[in-house]
Amino acid sequence: MLWNAIIFGPENTPFEDGTFKLTIQFTEEYPNKPPCVKFVSKMFHPNIYADGGICLDILQNRWSPTYDVASILTSIQSLLDEPNPNSPANSHAALLYTENRREYDRRVGSIVEESWKQ
Amino acid sequence: MSATVSEKGDAPAGKQPDQLFTLKRWNAVAVWSWDVECDTCAICRVQVMDACLRCQADNKQEGCVVVWGECNHSFHNCCMSLWVEQNNRCPLCQKEWVIQGTGK
Repeated sequence: MLWNAIIFGPENTPFEDGTFKLTIQFTEEYPNKPPCVKFVSKMFHPNIYADGGICLDILQNRWSPTYDVASILTSIQSLLDEPNPNSPANSHAALLYTENRREYDRRVGSIVEESWKQ
Repeated sequence: MSATVSEKGDAPAGKQPDQLFTLKRWNAVAVWSWDVECDTCAICRVQVMDACLRCQADNKQEGCVVVWGECNHSFHNCCMSLWVEQNNRCPLCQKEWVIQGTGK
Protein backbone atom coordinates (compact mmCIF):
# COMPACT_ATOMS: atom_id res chain seq x y z
CA MET A 1 0.00 0.00 0.00
CA LEU A 2 1.41 3.38 -1.02
CA TRP A 3 0.50 6.61 0.73
CA ASN A 4 1.40 10.14 -0.28
CA ALA A 5 2.25 12.66 2.41
CA ILE A 6 3.30 16.28 2.75
CA ILE A 7 5.49 17.72 5.49
CA PHE A 8 5.52 21.45 6.10
CA GLY A 9 8.94 22.86 6.88
CA PRO A 10 8.97 23.86 10.57
CA GLU A 11 8.65 27.57 11.38
CA ASN A 12 11.73 29.58 12.28
CA THR A 13 14.04 27.14 10.51
CA PRO A 14 15.62 27.32 7.05
CA PHE A 15 12.96 24.79 5.94
CA GLU A 16 10.07 27.17 6.84
CA ASP A 17 7.36 27.45 4.15
CA GLY A 18 8.55 24.31 2.36
CA THR A 19 5.89 21.80 1.27
CA PHE A 20 7.83 18.58 0.96
CA LYS A 21 6.16 15.58 -0.66
CA LEU A 22 6.86 12.04 0.51
CA THR A 23 5.71 8.52 -0.21
CA ILE A 24 5.08 5.92 2.48
CA GLN A 25 5.19 2.33 1.27
CA PHE A 26 3.65 -0.21 3.68
CA THR A 27 4.16 -3.95 3.50
CA GLU A 28 1.84 -6.63 4.85
CA GLU A 29 4.15 -6.83 7.85
CA TYR A 30 3.35 -3.30 9.06
CA PRO A 31 3.35 -2.46 11.96
CA ASN A 32 5.87 -5.18 12.80
CA LYS A 33 8.19 -3.74 10.17
CA PRO A 34 8.54 -0.03 9.41
CA PRO A 35 7.13 1.38 6.17
CA CYS A 36 9.58 2.68 3.58
CA VAL A 37 9.44 6.48 3.70
CA LYS A 38 11.03 8.59 0.96
CA PHE A 39 11.04 12.21 -0.03
CA VAL A 40 9.74 12.83 -3.54
CA SER A 41 10.61 16.52 -3.37
CA LYS A 42 14.25 17.34 -3.83
CA MET A 43 15.92 17.73 -0.41
CA PHE A 44 19.15 19.13 0.94
CA HIS A 45 19.77 17.69 4.39
CA PRO A 46 22.63 15.81 6.09
CA ASN A 47 20.48 12.74 6.76
CA ILE A 48 18.55 12.49 3.48
CA TYR A 49 20.02 10.55 0.56
CA ALA A 50 20.01 11.81 -3.02
CA ASP A 51 17.21 9.35 -3.88
CA GLY A 52 15.02 10.76 -1.07
CA GLY A 53 15.71 7.93 1.38
CA ILE A 54 15.82 8.99 5.02
CA CYS A 55 18.44 7.97 7.56
CA LEU A 56 16.40 8.00 10.77
CA ASP A 57 16.84 5.48 13.59
CA ILE A 58 13.12 5.00 14.26
CA LEU A 59 12.63 3.94 10.62
CA GLN A 60 15.39 1.35 10.97
CA ASN A 61 16.81 -0.29 14.09
CA ARG A 62 14.75 1.67 16.62
CA TRP A 63 11.38 0.99 15.00
CA SER A 64 8.49 0.16 17.35
CA PRO A 65 5.11 -1.19 16.22
CA THR A 66 3.46 1.55 18.29
CA TYR A 67 4.52 4.20 15.75
CA ASP A 68 1.84 5.39 13.38
CA VAL A 69 1.91 7.67 10.34
CA ALA A 70 1.48 10.79 12.46
CA SER A 71 4.42 9.94 14.71
CA ILE A 72 6.62 9.04 11.73
CA LEU A 73 5.87 12.34 9.97
CA THR A 74 6.37 14.33 13.18
CA SER A 75 9.75 12.66 13.70
CA ILE A 76 10.82 13.46 10.14
CA GLN A 77 9.63 17.03 10.55
CA SER A 78 11.78 17.46 13.65
CA LEU A 79 14.73 15.79 11.92
CA LEU A 80 14.69 18.64 9.38
CA ASP A 81 15.97 21.20 11.89
CA GLU A 82 17.86 18.74 14.08
CA PRO A 83 20.14 16.88 11.70
CA ASN A 84 22.68 14.40 12.92
CA PRO A 85 25.89 15.32 11.05
CA ASN A 86 27.63 12.23 12.47
CA SER A 87 25.77 9.80 10.23
CA PRO A 88 25.59 11.71 6.99
CA ALA A 89 23.54 10.51 4.03
CA ASN A 90 24.52 13.66 2.15
CA SER A 91 28.12 14.45 3.07
CA HIS A 92 28.09 17.80 1.28
CA ALA A 93 25.05 18.94 3.29
CA ALA A 94 26.67 17.64 6.48
CA LEU A 95 29.88 19.55 5.76
CA LEU A 96 28.06 22.81 5.02
CA TYR A 97 25.89 22.36 8.11
CA THR A 98 28.92 22.20 10.38
CA GLU A 99 31.29 24.53 8.55
CA ASN A 100 29.33 27.06 6.49
CA ARG A 101 25.86 27.56 7.90
CA ARG A 102 25.11 30.56 5.65
CA GLU A 103 25.69 28.52 2.52
CA TYR A 104 23.75 25.62 4.06
CA ASP A 105 20.76 27.89 4.73
CA ARG A 106 20.97 29.24 1.18
CA ARG A 107 20.96 25.74 -0.34
CA VAL A 108 18.02 24.76 1.88
CA GLY A 109 16.24 27.95 0.78
CA SER A 110 16.53 26.90 -2.84
CA ILE A 111 14.97 23.46 -2.23
CA VAL A 112 12.18 25.18 -0.24
CA GLU A 113 11.38 27.24 -3.35
CA GLU A 114 11.60 24.15 -5.53
CA SER A 115 9.10 22.36 -3.28
CA TRP A 116 6.38 24.83 -4.31
CA LYS A 117 6.70 24.01 -8.01
CA GLN A 118 5.94 20.31 -8.01
CA MET B 1 -22.52 19.47 55.20
CA SER B 2 -23.74 18.95 58.74
CA ALA B 3 -25.97 15.87 58.44
CA THR B 4 -25.53 12.93 60.76
CA VAL B 5 -25.87 9.49 59.24
CA SER B 6 -27.09 6.60 61.33
CA GLU B 7 -24.57 3.81 61.29
CA LYS B 8 -27.13 1.05 60.97
CA GLY B 9 -29.29 1.02 57.90
CA ASP B 10 -32.38 0.10 59.86
CA ALA B 11 -31.76 2.20 62.97
CA PRO B 12 -35.06 3.37 64.49
CA ALA B 13 -35.58 7.02 63.85
CA GLY B 14 -36.23 9.47 66.65
CA LYS B 15 -33.88 8.10 69.34
CA GLN B 16 -31.44 10.84 68.67
CA PRO B 17 -33.35 14.07 68.11
CA ASP B 18 -30.43 15.70 66.27
CA GLN B 19 -30.54 13.01 63.60
CA LEU B 20 -31.40 14.60 60.28
CA PHE B 21 -31.95 11.46 58.20
CA THR B 22 -31.69 7.70 58.33
CA LEU B 23 -29.84 5.62 55.83
CA LYS B 24 -32.31 2.99 54.66
CA ARG B 25 -30.61 1.41 51.70
CA TRP B 26 -27.13 1.08 50.20
CA ASN B 27 -26.50 0.69 46.52
CA ALA B 28 -23.00 -0.64 45.99
CA VAL B 29 -21.50 0.05 42.59
CA ALA B 30 -18.33 -1.79 41.57
CA VAL B 31 -16.07 -0.75 38.72
CA TRP B 32 -13.34 -2.98 37.35
CA SER B 33 -10.44 -2.62 34.97
CA TRP B 34 -7.42 -4.68 34.04
CA ASP B 35 -4.62 -4.42 36.60
CA VAL B 36 -2.18 -3.29 33.93
CA GLU B 37 -0.94 0.07 32.75
CA CYS B 38 -2.78 0.30 29.43
CA ASP B 39 -5.98 -1.26 28.21
CA THR B 40 -5.57 -0.55 24.52
CA CYS B 41 -3.14 -2.70 22.55
CA ALA B 42 -0.55 -0.22 21.28
CA ILE B 43 0.19 -2.47 18.30
CA CYS B 44 -3.27 -2.89 16.74
CA ARG B 45 -5.07 -0.10 18.67
CA VAL B 46 -7.95 -2.32 19.77
CA GLN B 47 -8.85 -2.73 23.46
CA VAL B 48 -7.03 -5.74 24.92
CA MET B 49 -10.30 -7.21 26.25
CA ASP B 50 -11.58 -7.42 22.67
CA ALA B 51 -10.02 -9.63 20.01
CA CYS B 52 -7.16 -8.08 18.06
CA LEU B 53 -7.67 -6.59 14.61
CA ARG B 54 -6.34 -9.67 12.85
CA CYS B 55 -8.48 -12.13 14.84
CA GLN B 56 -11.57 -9.99 14.28
CA ALA B 57 -10.92 -10.05 10.54
CA ASP B 58 -10.35 -13.82 10.58
CA ASN B 59 -13.35 -14.38 12.88
CA LYS B 60 -11.19 -16.11 15.52
CA GLN B 61 -12.26 -13.99 18.50
CA GLU B 62 -12.26 -16.92 20.95
CA GLY B 63 -8.56 -17.72 21.03
CA CYS B 64 -7.34 -14.12 21.22
CA VAL B 65 -5.82 -13.62 24.69
CA VAL B 66 -4.00 -10.81 26.46
CA VAL B 67 -0.33 -11.01 27.35
CA TRP B 68 1.39 -8.74 29.86
CA GLY B 69 5.05 -8.34 30.49
CA GLU B 70 7.10 -7.79 33.60
CA CYS B 71 7.09 -4.09 32.65
CA ASN B 72 3.28 -4.23 33.17
CA HIS B 73 2.52 -3.27 29.56
CA SER B 74 -0.12 -5.41 27.92
CA PHE B 75 -0.91 -6.33 24.33
CA HIS B 76 -2.80 -8.99 22.44
CA ASN B 77 -0.76 -12.18 22.52
CA CYS B 78 -1.17 -12.48 18.72
CA CYS B 79 0.16 -8.94 18.13
CA MET B 80 3.06 -9.40 20.53
CA SER B 81 4.17 -12.79 19.24
CA LEU B 82 4.59 -11.30 15.74
CA TRP B 83 6.57 -8.36 17.11
CA VAL B 84 9.00 -10.36 19.29
CA GLU B 85 10.12 -12.21 16.14
CA GLN B 86 11.52 -8.82 15.05
CA ASN B 87 12.78 -7.52 18.36
CA ASN B 88 12.35 -8.97 21.84
CA ARG B 89 11.62 -5.62 23.47
CA CYS B 90 8.47 -4.02 24.81
CA PRO B 91 7.19 -1.69 22.06
CA LEU B 92 6.26 0.91 24.70
CA CYS B 93 9.22 1.06 27.10
CA GLN B 94 11.91 -0.77 25.07
CA LYS B 95 12.75 -3.02 28.03
CA GLU B 96 13.53 -6.63 27.29
CA TRP B 97 10.21 -8.44 26.88
CA VAL B 98 9.61 -10.97 29.65
CA ILE B 99 6.12 -12.42 29.85
CA GLN B 100 4.46 -12.04 33.24
CA GLY B 101 1.26 -13.78 32.25
CA THR B 102 -1.40 -14.42 29.68
CA GLY B 103 -5.14 -14.66 30.03
CA LYS B 104 -8.53 -13.54 28.95
